[in-house]
Amino acid sequence: MDVDRIVALVTADGIELTDRRRSAKGDGWSLSFSNGATVEVSDDGSARVSGKGAKAVTRLLDLPAAPRGA
Amino acid sequence: MKRSSGLALFSSTLALCTAASAPAFAAQPGDPPDGIAKIETVVVIFAENRAFDNLYGHFPGAEGIDKASKESLEQRDRDGSVLSELPPVWDGLTAKGVTPPVTQAMTEHLPNEPFTVNDAKGFNVPLSVATHDLWHRYYQNQMQINGGKNDMFVAWADSGAMPMSNWDASKTDMWAVAQKYVLADHFFMGGFGGSFFNHQWLVCACAPYYPDADKNPAKPSISVTDDSGTALKIADNSPKSARDGIPKFVSDGNLTPDFYAVNTMQPPYQPSGNDPAPGGDPRMADPAKPTTLPPQTEPTIGDMLSLKHVSWAWYSGAWQYSLDHGNHTPTPNFQYHHQPFNYYANYAPGTEARREHLRDAGLGGVSFIQAIDDGALPQVSFYKPQGNLNEHSGYADIQAGDRHIADVVAHLEKSPQWPHMLVVVTYDENGGIWDHVAPPKGDRWGPGTRIPAIIISPFAKHGYVDHTPYDTTSILRLITERFELPVLHGIVVRDKAVAAHGEPPLGDLTGGLDLN
Repeated sequence: MDVDRIVALVTADGIELTDRRRSAKGDGWSLSFSNGATVEVSDDGSARVSGKGAKAVTRLLDLPAAPRGA
Repeated sequence: MKRSSGLALFSSTLALCTAASAPAFAAQPGDPPDGIAKIETVVVIFAENRAFDNLYGHFPGAEGIDKASKESLEQRDRDGSVLSELPPVWDGLTAKGVTPPVTQAMTEHLPNEPFTVNDAKGFNVPLSVATHDLWHRYYQNQMQINGGKNDMFVAWADSGAMPMSNWDASKTDMWAVAQKYVLADHFFMGGFGGSFFNHQWLVCACAPYYPDADKNPAKPSISVTDDSGTALKIADNSPKSARDGIPKFVSDGNLTPDFYAVNTMQPPYQPSGNDPAPGGDPRMADPAKPTTLPPQTEPTIGDMLSLKHVSWAWYSGAWQYSLDHGNHTPTPNFQYHHQPFNYYANYAPGTEARREHLRDAGLGGVSFIQAIDDGALPQVSFYKPQGNLNEHSGYADIQAGDRHIADVVAHLEKSPQWPHMLVVVTYDENGGIWDHVAPPKGDRWGPGTRIPAIIISPFAKHGYVDHTPYDTTSILRLITERFELPVLHGIVVRDKAVAAHGEPPLGDLTGGLDLN
C-alpha cells in the first residue's frame, strides 16, 4: 500500500500523523500516529503495524490482525 | 545536550519565582468589574474541533454565516483564483464503517460555498454520525486564514470540500444551553493549529520547546517554511490545484525551525502514545522516540494557582482506565495529547502535585459528575471528556459529546456550588473547519480561527450574545484576575501584540456577566 494512501486513510479517522521519516535501511517509510501506532511501510507496498494504537490502525487499513502473542 | 530533571526543576522554580515577583494586576481601564469575587468556582469544559460557523452559524443574534458577505463565502485555489466548484471530499464525507456512506463520488461538483451536512435535501447525515477528519495543523491554519480572508481553507486542506461543512445544530442540547445563557460569538482559539498546541495554550499560554532538536531523534520533524515564516514550503510535486489532490510540503513536521513544538508530540509521562523505554521506568515514555517531547518547565496556570493556594484540578475522562487497562476504541478512545499538564516536569509521576491536581474523571466523566453533585469541586476545574465524547471529527460524532456536556452542565446547575459558579464550555480549536470571521491579529502563535464558547453562570446575562473579542487565553485572564495571580508571560505578549496591531483588547469573559 502506498505511504500517502496509508496516511490518508488513518488521518481521515481523526488519528493524526505525528512523524514520517525514511526507515533506517532506506527501503521504506516509518509513520507514527497520535494514538501510539507505528506503521512501517516498505517501498514494495507491504505494511506492518505496531505500538499502542495498532489495533485501530490495522482495522482502518484493512490489514489482517496480528496473530495472538505477536 | 539533554537537560537533567534537576536542571529542569530548577529552571521551572526560577521561572515561577520570576513570574511571582512581577507586579499583580493593577487597576486599569478594562479590568474586571466589581463583584468578580462572587465567582468562587470556575469550571472549564474543553471539547474538540469545531469552528463557530460549523455549529452556531445560524444562531439568532450571532455573527454567523447569515451575516457573511458573498465574497467571504468563496474559496480560492492555490494560485489565488476563485474555485469554480469545491473539490470532492477525498475518500468520502463519512468516517470508515458508517452505513450508508457518503462517498467521494457523492461529493463531486459541490458549489463553492458552505454546505450543511445534515441538510435533509442534501447529504442528510445526522449529528450522530462521525465524519471525515481534516488537517488542523499550525502552519496550514495560518495558510488557510490567509491574513484574515479565510479563503484558503479548501486550498490547504487534506479533505477537499470538508472545511466548508457545517451543521444545523439548532436542536442540540447545548444550543438550548447557549440560548439560556451567553454565547460568545467572537471567541478565537488561542494558538494556530491543533489540539496539542491549543491545550498548551489553555494551561500555559506558551509554545512548548524541544531543546537542541536538530541534534536528536526529532530532527526530521523540523518543519521547512517559506520566506514568510508563517507558511510551509510547498514541494515541487505538490498538485497545483486543490481539485487535483492534497498538497505536499517539503517538511510538514511538529517543530518550528527554531524548535518550538506546534503540532502533536507525545507526553513524556504515561499515559503516552509512546511506550516506556525497554527496561526503563514504566511511568515514563521512551525519550529516545522522536515524538516524545522532553518535560516542559514553563510556568502554567496550575503553578500560579498553587502559588496562591487556590485549589484546582484537571479532570480527564478515562485517565485511570487508560493507565490501568490501556486504551480502547471506539470507547473511551483516550487521547494522550489532550492532557497538557502531563507534559510538565512539575507534574511528573511521583510528585505530590500530580497526585493532587491530575485527577481521573472516570469513564464517561462519572467521577467528575460525582464531585459536582457532592459540591466537592476545587476552586478551578478543567474537564476533558474522553475521546468518544469530545466531538472530534473522524472518531467522534457531535451528538454524543453535545449530550454528554449538556448532562454535565445540568449537574453543575444542581450542584451545591452552583450559586457562585462560572462555567465555560468551549472547543480547543476549529478542527480545520472554515469560519468566516477574521481572527484578531496577534503574535506569532495566534489567535487562530473562531470557535464556539458558552458562558454559563447564575451571573450570566440570560439569552445574550456576547460580541466581545476573546481567545483561549481569556479563560486564563478570568482565572488570573479572579484569584489575583501573577500573569503568565504569554498573556502579556499576546496583549501587547494585539494592541500593537490596533485591535481591541481581548476580554476576560466578564462581558457576558452581570455581577451586580
